[in-house]
Amino acid sequence: MKNITIAVFCLLLLNACRKDNSKFDGPSIQDLYSNFKLIDNFKCDKDSVSFAAGEVSHFTASFNKAVKWQISITGTTSKAQKIITGQSKTIDANNGTWNGSTTVFPIFGVENCIAKLTVEGVTDSFLLPIKIRSTKVNNGLVIADFENGFNSAWTKFAQSGANMDFNVKADTYAPQGAKYLNMAGTVNWDWCIGYIDFPATAYSASNTLALATNPDAVFFNCLIYGVPNTNSSLVLFQFKEDENADGIFNAANEDEYDYQIDVNWSGWKLVTIKYSDVTSMVNGQPVTPKGNSQHNPNKIGKISMYHLANKDNGFASCKIDYLIFTSSPIEP
Amino acid sequence: MLFLLFSIGALFAQQKRAVDFIGGARSMMSNNRILVTDSFPDTLTTKRNTGGYALIDLGVNIKPNKNTEILGMFRIRNQYGGFWGSGVSFDVRQLWLKGVIANVVRYQVGDLNLKQTPFTLYNHHADKLDSLPAIFNFQNQIISYEKFYLNNTWRQQGVNLDFGLKFSKYLKEADFDGYLTRLLATDFAKVPDRLMGGFTVNILQSKNFGFGYNNFSVFDVKGTIIDSNRYRNLVNTFSFIYKTQIKNKPLEIKAEAGRSLSETTENITASSMQDYFIHAYTEFKLPKQHLNLSLGYLNVGPDFRSIGAQSKNVNYNATPEFYNRYGNAQSSRPLSVMDIIRNDNLYTTSVNSNLMVTSPIYNNILPYGIATFNRVGAYLKAKFDNQKGITCNATHNNLSEIRGQGTFALKKFTQTKVNAALEINKIISTKRSFKIQAGLDLQSTMRKSQVEVEHVKLNTLIMTVGLEYELFSNIDILLGTINVNNKGNDFSDSRNAYSVVDYLTNVNYDLHQQITAFGIRCRFSDRIYLCGNYQYSNYNDKLNLNPQYKLNQFAITYNMTF
Repeated sequence: MKNITIAVFCLLLLNACRKDNSKFDGPSIQDLYSNFKLIDNFKCDKDSVSFAAGEVSHFTASFNKAVKWQISITGTTSKAQKIITGQSKTIDANNGTWNGSTTVFPIFGVENCIAKLTVEGVTDSFLLPIKIRSTKVNNGLVIADFENGFNSAWTKFAQSGANMDFNVKADTYAPQGAKYLNMAGTVNWDWCIGYIDFPATAYSASNTLALATNPDAVFFNCLIYGVPNTNSSLVLFQFKEDENADGIFNAANEDEYDYQIDVNWSGWKLVTIKYSDVTSMVNGQPVTPKGNSQHNPNKIGKISMYHLANKDNGFASCKIDYLIFTSSPIEP
Repeated sequence: MLFLLFSIGALFAQQKRAVDFIGGARSMMSNNRILVTDSFPDTLTTKRNTGGYALIDLGVNIKPNKNTEILGMFRIRNQYGGFWGSGVSFDVRQLWLKGVIANVVRYQVGDLNLKQTPFTLYNHHADKLDSLPAIFNFQNQIISYEKFYLNNTWRQQGVNLDFGLKFSKYLKEADFDGYLTRLLATDFAKVPDRLMGGFTVNILQSKNFGFGYNNFSVFDVKGTIIDSNRYRNLVNTFSFIYKTQIKNKPLEIKAEAGRSLSETTENITASSMQDYFIHAYTEFKLPKQHLNLSLGYLNVGPDFRSIGAQSKNVNYNATPEFYNRYGNAQSSRPLSVMDIIRNDNLYTTSVNSNLMVTSPIYNNILPYGIATFNRVGAYLKAKFDNQKGITCNATHNNLSEIRGQGTFALKKFTQTKVNAALEINKIISTKRSFKIQAGLDLQSTMRKSQVEVEHVKLNTLIMTVGLEYELFSNIDILLGTINVNNKGNDFSDSRNAYSVVDYLTNVNYDLHQQITAFGIRCRFSDRIYLCGNYQYSNYNDKLNLNPQYKLNQFAITYNMTF
């Protein structure tokens, strides 16, 4: 019995020193309650950058505690903006890299920019100049950027409603390049205000688009501008697969996939969808495709783009630009 | 109803079966007044409040045969001014049946008062003020009666079985005790059926050595809701007791150690918690000196979770019985020491699956009793009772965190409690009872760090003084006062549903509370009394985080049990 007692007390003595210094419970008090201090100044590894050559910019800074921070880079000419956010004690290549992409459109041009670091709860901000020597290049199949106006191979239809405008414009609204398509009008007898057909033959000698066969590796992207205080526009894309590649889309026995966008925002917005996620629809309701029921991006024979709006709600307007297929979601 | 009960009694009497009526009755009438001191005069709070109630608990204890016993108890309660239906309630207060199967296994179904060990299932009453003067103690005893606080039990509903075996060789005896109760009832949507079960095996090897195994578990019943995520809390402990003598003076060594597991089966954000604890103490008795000394060691891991032992009996999120809003801003009135002493609606009856909120104002050292997680250290206790009217209990806790909260720096906790009572009638040999008692509880929480914002320094001083004097035969004068002072700062943790800390708030205290009471009590018997008392309390937050208020009360209480 004595031995048992001694053993138990030895065990207790061993445990007497138990401390768990590997971690602590909850958020750091230091982070929550100490005053902010900038330890390492806000810097960029380049004062000018050529994104077209594959260069990127790395921003760096460090603080005395973990903070919520934001770097906003603004083009002095275009007013384009890139916003990078994070919550950490340091900004480095892992969380503070800019590849030339845009958050707030228009897309950056060759121009001077100002990078501004702000920290939540801190009134001071930190500024850096940076120059874009060449802009980011997005690889993919461009369906339309309207820089050369209307392609003669496209088919356009616009209703004869009031205040109709279905034309390429060149003004300060352009989010990419210098031009975009304006779609507007009042059609009080039909939801369709107008449409454009983009046939595959406009891009290659083949009857189908030169895209990958894997629908998970094909992304359709475009920039759409919502006009405030107008009838909400619907933009409907119909991807018509010419499965037998005979140059004719047969709706009775070939697949059509649809993507309808409710333009319920103001300003430019990037819309991206993976091709395998688009579905067959009739009047907005899902239906079974009529063909092989497989997403075949390499068999797309025609893309129809409709501008729709509720006929009872009057004038509808939106703008569109930079329709492009890419192999991953685009960062324009 | 009474006719029916008496008829049942008469019937069983004719059949020579025992029928007893048990229960109690109480009437309480009070007049309350609040006085608020704020930067703007309080023109919105109704200053006075008068009310009261009368209730009777009537239970029938039936023994239909020598092996079976049944108890059913009803409560009829009436708010004063609430006759003819309004304010009258009729409830079932107790219902149980117990008996013996084959003269071996004892069972009880229905209401159960359950207790295992301090780390498995145990109602610690962690915030109860020690050495409560009699003028406050009778109010606290009413709460204990209302909430079925018998020693350290929790009131549950379910089934309980126990039996014992005696051996002729190697072992002396073995006792088995098991229970299964329902903690939550499903709503068929989000709340599952949650059961609580456990068992204890205690083996006495000899008169000097015994050991035991304790199991406690809480678990959700699969399929009682659509959500397949289920909660589980499992605690297994071993305990032993060893008795010996040093120079003919008895010495006892007791220890308990075990592990806990707390998890939800399908939640990837809340990983399962596992940890262990060790609690050991030795008790040395010096009969000639009327002294008992205990030295204990405590080590409870930061992730040790045992909801049966870590449920608090005070719910600090509950609203007080009256004046729950006050001041011109009609802000929530912070609970005062008067609420803690007399408001039974702040107290819980059952084990709570979620980790309950603690109050550093009353107990920052061991807020969940000795089962408080994240504590390591030692304690010393001394008890003196000369059997001639002088008693004194002293405790000193010296503890530390095991894992830091929001920092690697650890908090240190020290607590010194001294309670003394003098029964002057015994000292000077007079017939009439004359008792003076006093208590002191000094708590200190400290954390020093290289970073100033992590510093913690919170001091708490709780003092009690009471007097009980039998002025005439069975008529007592009662006096008492309690002071609670808190000064300093500590970080209050807010925890998510899985008891993981998600925020720490630095709370500053400079709080002074006082309650003073006097009254007169007439004892008709040991079980029946009538007491009139007046008590006034003061809640003074010197940091002006809450407006200062005074709460005064005059009450007449008649209480009996039978």
